[in-house]
Amino acid sequence: MSAASNVALDAAQLGRSVKRIAMEIAERNGGADNIVLVGIVRRGATLAERIATELRANGRREVPVGTLDISSYRDDGKGLPGDPRLIGRDIPFSLDAKRVVLVDDVLYTGRTVRAALDAISDLGRAESVQLAVLVDRGERELPIRADYVGKNIQAPQGQRVFVRLAEIDGADAVVIGNAR
Amino acid sequence: MSRLAKFDVVSIDDLETSDIERVFALADGFAAQLERGEQITAAAGLIMATLFYEPSTRTRLSFESSMHRLGGSVISSADMQASSAAKGESLADTVRVVAGYADLIVLRHPHDGAARVAAEYAPCPVLNAGDGSREHPSQTLCDLYILRKKKGRLKGLTVALCGDLKFGRTVHSLIYALARFGTNIVAVPTSGMNVPDYVLERLATERNYSLSTVTMDELKSLAGGLDALYLTPSAPHQMALFTSDGALRQIPAAEPPAALDAFYVTRLQKERMSGKEAAAGEYVRFDARALRTSRTQEAVVMHPLPRLGELAYELDTDPRAVYFEQAAAGVPVRMALIALLMEKAAGASTGPRPIAEAIRFKTEPLPRCSNPNCVTRFEGAYLAPRFTLGRGIDTTVLALKCGFCERELKTEYVGHARSHRYYRFDENLQGYVRQWIEEGSLAVFDSVKQAEEAGYEPYRRGPQREIMNQEEVVGAIESLADQVIADVNDMPAVSIVGVVSHGAMLALRLRDLIGAKTGVLAPCAALDAYKPADALHPIDGAENFSVEDRTIILVDDVINSGWTVQRAMATIWQRGRPAAVKLAVLIDRGHRAVPIRPNYVGKNIPTSRGERVQVRLAAAGAESKSHDRVMIYSIVEPLKEPEAAH
Repeated sequence: MSAASNVALDAAQLGRSVKRIAMEIAERNGGADNIVLVGIVRRGATLAERIATELRANGRREVPVGTLDISSYRDDGKGLPGDPRLIGRDIPFSLDAKRVVLVDDVLYTGRTVRAALDAISDLGRAESVQLAVLVDRGERELPIRADYVGKNIQAPQGQRVFVRLAEIDGADAVVIGNAR
Repeated sequence: MSRLAKFDVVSIDDLETSDIERVFALADGFAAQLERGEQITAAAGLIMATLFYEPSTRTRLSFESSMHRLGGSVISSADMQASSAAKGESLADTVRVVAGYADLIVLRHPHDGAARVAAEYAPCPVLNAGDGSREHPSQTLCDLYILRKKKGRLKGLTVALCGDLKFGRTVHSLIYALARFGTNIVAVPTSGMNVPDYVLERLATERNYSLSTVTMDELKSLAGGLDALYLTPSAPHQMALFTSDGALRQIPAAEPPAALDAFYVTRLQKERMSGKEAAAGEYVRFDARALRTSRTQEAVVMHPLPRLGELAYELDTDPRAVYFEQAAAGVPVRMALIALLMEKAAGASTGPRPIAEAIRFKTEPLPRCSNPNCVTRFEGAYLAPRFTLGRGIDTTVLALKCGFCERELKTEYVGHARSHRYYRFDENLQGYVRQWIEEGSLAVFDSVKQAEEAGYEPYRRGPQREIMNQEEVVGAIESLADQVIADVNDMPAVSIVGVVSHGAMLALRLRDLIGAKTGVLAPCAALDAYKPADALHPIDGAENFSVEDRTIILVDDVINSGWTVQRAMATIWQRGRPAAVKLAVLIDRGHRAVPIRPNYVGKNIPTSRGERVQVRLAAAGAESKSHDRVMIYSIVEPLKEPEAAH
């Protein structure tokens, strides 16, 4: 961790946030019967798995988990940052008449979520799409809002928010800083 | 006269039971001839073209070997993606061109329904070697053939199908075929991988057949013996070749079933399960011990191959493990299939299978197939979507079956073109809809909004009341303009997009107001997501309208579920990458179904779901604003007798 980094959520707080999001999802939807989770690769997908585990623990229900892989870079070889777009999906179940909870780690401009909504609407007639994020860092460029937020973080100009998850990064934390 | 009948085998259902019996008899003969090392020349002079739009070494080699064994020749393009398809040639054109080079086309294609398209356009017969995740009829023939060969019959056998029974369409074809032959099917799905309802329903309605579904646990209490175990790969067959990572998981049951105590599974020691594996659930694993019980003594083990680990290699030497014979049967069976086409050409012409007449819709655009992998989503405009009435388990939606991929599209709103009324579909309308289809006056809509934009009225509306008068509407638009001005720093970077038709009228009024207050007249366009060719057109007299790097103010009169906004943004993104999109609505009704929130709202009006809000606006530039008002009324539901239709 660089000297300029600061921990916005430690492992315990992050764990509680995930639990709370899962509880809110169950509460708002009257259980988890009609819910499917779709996580955005990569950390959103890991969070979706964790939320599914929580829902299973609470309601003894299996909640299907799918993933959308949305990349922020054009594959034109120039490496220019472009608008996020779908590069892969793994949703081996029907979304028809389901309440889809889309899960991502950080909500920022809203562009990734927009691309994800297109992908979901392309896959069938979901009853609704709700958005769960661990961190909402504001600064939206599109009219997107989250239904479930772990923590709102105002990062100082030029700083970034990094979500670290044990499955990928070895430990759980949300860190504000210049470098990962 | 052609030596091959124009007889396409796109689905196993294209073959009559007598055809299948004939294929088996022919295959027996060919197998014996091959065994004796005889040279066969039945197809000498015939050319088969194999068009593989996705790699499938096994199927292609098997087909090509079959044609060579028959004395015919083969021309091949193993990688169509790299050839004409890459130049943008349509499938319809490709098969018509190739039919000039060959007497028979074997097609493998990644899109569902592609083989149907090829069969309709190619003047020569087309054999489907797998289209998307739909059908793979020659594989099914091989499965049936080896099962009958090993057991001497199909009728009355009991076959357990284990593993992924949900996505493996190869297995669906096999289920339909087994049902046709009177085989008892025991489905033993991996958790969450059940035989889909539409397959069960089709079995019930077409064959009056029901299969038993049991869990691994319940399998032990099954009475009677099993004649075959048929395992499916742990990924859909299409993918199986390319998945190096055999995602195996053990069955969570504490103990393996007593009667099948060799049916054991080991936990795969994976550090981390990906979403895919978790979603796929636990997978079966089958080894020699599984065959040691009294119940499975006579059972053969089948597998379409390639295996990913669900079959232990130690099984290979067991005489009941027949999967390599099953694969080898591919050649005589496919030889027999080709020979069948020759026999059909020589015999009485059967003619093409009648295709159920597609519904003629009254609305533009035509409904789009909901299957993202349907061939109609990829081929050009020549391939108009085609639907017949589906079966539909859910009676609150109208199910339309795609004429190509056979996926059912569920439609909530239907309209009657003569009366120009729309209805929310329910089962009481079933009879009327059939009548409207007959008279060619059925319209279907994604949403109430689309129905209203098409000029349809609700079948019956409750009393209307005014919820905003002229003064309030004018004030709300004024407020929207002020909100935009206060929020946006760089007005010259703003372009305004209004969703047709009231959103576009509102957009022009907003532009004029903002222009009067700031001196900047923003470019303005109307957006109609249902007109793909002209989805975004300037309405301010300008020639062009660009979204690239602009701050777009997206304007609509009413926001409800938010799906319209989602579609509108998708349309904008097809044109470029805006710097930002801000959403302005005159009225927010609530009931959001997507995570979208307007940035600027004229007025929040909570409504119930059965209500409609109707906005009337004076045109931009009109002196009098006396047109401005907002009405609310209820759509009376449910419908009993839509007399307005007559």
